[in-house]
Order: sequence, then C-alpha cells, then structure tokens
Amino acid sequence: MSTYRKYWAFARVAASEAANQRAELYGRALFFAVILGVFAALWRAVAEAGMPLRAEQEKLVWYLAATEWILLSTPQRHMQIQDEVRRGDVAYQLPRPVSYPRAALAQCLGALLVRAPLLGVVAFVSAFAFTGRMPALQSLLWLVPFGMLASAILAELYVALGLLSFWLTDATPLYWVTGKLLFILGGLMLPLELYPRWLQRVALCTPFPSLLAGPGGFLINGAEQAAPLLALRLLFWACFSFGLVELLFWRATRSLQVSGG
Amino acid sequence: MLKNLANTARFCWALLRTSLKAVTALRGSFLLSMTFMALNNATFFVFWWVLLGRVGTLRGWYMADVQLLFGISAAGFGLMQATLGGAVHLSTLIDEGGLDPLLCQPKPTLLYALGCRSQASAFGDLFSGVGFMLLSGYLSWHSAARALLCVLVSFLAYTAICISFFSLAFGAKKTHSLSRQLLDILITFSLYPEPLFGGPLRLVLFTLLPAGFVSYLPARVVKSASTSDLLCLMAGTAFYLWLAVRIFQAGLRRYASGSRFGVFG
Repeated sequence: MSTYRKYWAFARVAASEAANQRAELYGRALFFAVILGVFAALWRAVAEAGMPLRAEQEKLVWYLAATEWILLSTPQRHMQIQDEVRRGDVAYQLPRPVSYPRAALAQCLGALLVRAPLLGVVAFVSAFAFTGRMPALQSLLWLVPFGMLASAILAELYVALGLLSFWLTDATPLYWVTGKLLFILGGLMLPLELYPRWLQRVALCTPFPSLLAGPGGFLINGAEQAAPLLALRLLFWACFSFGLVELLFWRATRSLQVSGG
Repeated sequence: MLKNLANTARFCWALLRTSLKAVTALRGSFLLSMTFMALNNATFFVFWWVLLGRVGTLRGWYMADVQLLFGISAAGFGLMQATLGGAVHLSTLIDEGGLDPLLCQPKPTLLYALGCRSQASAFGDLFSGVGFMLLSGYLSWHSAARALLCVLVSFLAYTAICISFFSLAFGAKKTHSLSRQLLDILITFSLYPEPLFGGPLRLVLFTLLPAGFVSYLPARVVKSASTSDLLCLMAGTAFYLWLAVRIFQAGLRRYASGSRFGVFG
C-alpha cells in the first residue's frame, strides 16, 4: 500500500505543477481550437471537391477533436528525462526508494489528469462550434476512458524515448519520427481508411492506430462493436510499453554501474 | 554612418560563423538532426499526398501549389533558425537574466541575442524547403531570383514575428510555452492553402498572426510575378521588422537583471 502512496504523491505533485503552468495549458487549448478551425475549413473544402470518404465532414472534425485531444493531453516527459541524463542528475535519483521510470509514469498520469479535462472541454466546445452538431452521447462516453488509457500508454512511450538518451545523448530526432508515425500510422488527421491498403496493414502492426484512430473512430463508426477489440489492443500495448520502459531502464542502470556512473 | 554599417555587418558575419562552427562541432549529431528534420517534413507531406491524391484540387490549389507554399515556409523558417536561432530562445534569455552579459557588449543587444545560436535541425528545414520548391515545378532560371528573394523575405518575417512573440517575456513570467504555441499556430496556418480561410480570419492572418507574410504572399509572388504583391510583401515585412525592434526595445527598458554569475564569450 505504501508503494502506491509514494507514486500517488508523485502524481499529485505533477498534477499541481501542471495546474500552475497556466500559460502552457491555455497555449495548448488555443492551439487545439486553431487546429480544429483549420481542419473544419479544410474538410469543408474537401466536401466541395467531392468527399472521398463515407463519413460526413462534421464527423471528421469530431474525429480530429478526439485524436488531437488524446495527443495534446499526453505529457511528454522525454525532454526532462533527457536533460536529467545529460546533466547526470539521474545518478542521485537512483538510490531513492522509488523506481525512476515508475515515478516518471506517475508524474505523467498526474499531469494527464489535469490536462485531459480542460482540453476535453476545449475539444467539445470547439468541435461543436465548428460543426453545429454533436456525435452520439454514448460514443463520447466510450471515448473518455479509452482516450485516457491511450494517452497514458503514449506518455509511457515518451518515457521510453527519454530513456533512450542514455545511449543516444540526444533523442530528439527519434521524438520527431515518433510524432510523424503518430501522424501517419496513427491516423491523427486522416482516418486510416483513406490510406493505401499496404500502409493500413503496416499501421496495424504498430501501437499508433490503437492510440489515436481507434478511440477517434468511435465518433465515426460508433463504439459498441469496436470497443472490446480496442480494449484488448490497448491492454497489450500498455503491457508492452511498460515492459519496454522497465527493460530500457534496467539496461541503462547496468551500463551506468559498469562505467562507474 | 557607412563605417558603422560595415562594422555591424562584419560583426554579424563573425557571429554567424561562430554559431555555425558551434552547431557543426558534433558532426554526427548535426547530420542526424538535419536528416531527421528533413524526413520529418517529408512525412508531413504524406497527408497532402493522400488527400490531394483523392480529391485532386482544393479550391483551385493543386499539389504543386501546396509544395511551393510548404517549401517557402520551411525554407524561411529554417534560414531563420540556422542564422538567427536565438530568436526562439529570447524568452528564456529574458526570464533567466541571460541578457545581462549582452547588455554590456559594444554591439546591438538584439543582434547579439538573435545571432548567438543556431539550430542543427534548421538545416533540415532549409534543405527540405528548397527541395519542395524544386519539386513544385514553379522554379525556373527566370524565377530563381524571385524565389530566393521570397525566401529571404519569409526569413525576415519569421524573425520579426519570433522577436515579437518571444518578447512577451518582458511583460510576464514563464511565457516561453505560450510564445512557442503562438509560433506553432502561425506555422500551422502558413502550411495550409490560403483559400481555406476567409472572412475575418484572413484579416487576422495578415495582421495579428501574419502567416500571409511568411508563406501566402511569397508563394503568390513566385507564381504570378506580380509587382504589386511583391511591394506589398516587402512593405509588410519591413513594418513587422520595425514593430518587432520597437517591441524589443520597449521591453528592454523594463528588463530587470537576473544578477546571474557566468562566463560569456
């Protein structure tokens, strides 16, 4: 029980920090609203040119609202970990009676709990303002837990990216690649059904469609049928990312001890 | 007057050479960052490749037009970050009292703050931007000089905008993220076709968030060689530069020292 209390304390501190960083929070909210505005205009133009999808333009705006909500709510801790590794600060965190990567995950979850509700409201209000319509309430209710879980898995993947800086010094290029993989293979802006078949197959071998297109798809195709399979996929990727982070950290601390810190 | 200008130009050249040397010192890391940024930009284009592959044209904009728009914006931004990369770190300098050592230098503080950094990834933006411009098919021997001029104007417009956004730190604390988000919003707008945005939003895109001056107008000038558009572009950019310098100078008067000890040079 005391183990959980330790991590709960990390989460609480991170949540209060996130709540205090108002400029960043409002900046994200503004960026979110702008992106939705740009894409509402884009989908209107696409509809004029002949929509290549069965889905209506309004549903595509709501889809983007969902995927962007997941992405923008996700705390990206990789830079902080990278800085701690570069400066050597990570060395004095190792003797603490807490696991460094689990504390990082707890901090991400704390920040997520602050960001997700605010950005959720921004997503809802903006998407409604730009489309004048609302998707089925049931789909929205399904989206919330799945989106939060997807965000948590994504945050853990960013922790893994940060840990890679033990070997790479600068993991920023990998972060860019991950961002673009999310963009394409995750179906951030375009539903995957628009992509060529081979790319859709490639995407399904990665965690990205389960993190973004999966929950976002609830608002286009409904949630009841897709939810059980997506839950299984998310569970698998949660275990995978957690295992990956633990493995990376174990390898990193081994090499730290070998080289003398 | 002329001697002063020549001195400042020599100083700028020395500053540029020093920051380029610093950024290329770790050659492997430099090449990696540059390549990944170029790949990053290419990946973004998959979106347009898929979408325009399906619908063909969006309000009269074809793939070539989007490539040109993206190319100019990426090249202008890349050039800014490669040569005056300090622009996006102004708020951090202000917050942490990092302007202190620059204030006692005999050269202009703003120039020093802008030129003291270069980003390795910016070269990826620059090269991919030029690559997209070439791919668009709008570049020929006749239009090359015009395109170069447009990239330079886009670079100046980006510089002015960054100075203005990141000088917010003079007025309030911890504004770096907000300034960064404002810049991201501007970049986002600059990468999507102009006809998508109409009414009051278009006015905003040529005033408060001047995406029009970093990509729309330069792209129009490259395509149509319109003298009036070119004059409008240059006048607008000159105004934004003047405004940015004024904002920075006004902020500098409010600047409080960080009393930070450190070595500079």
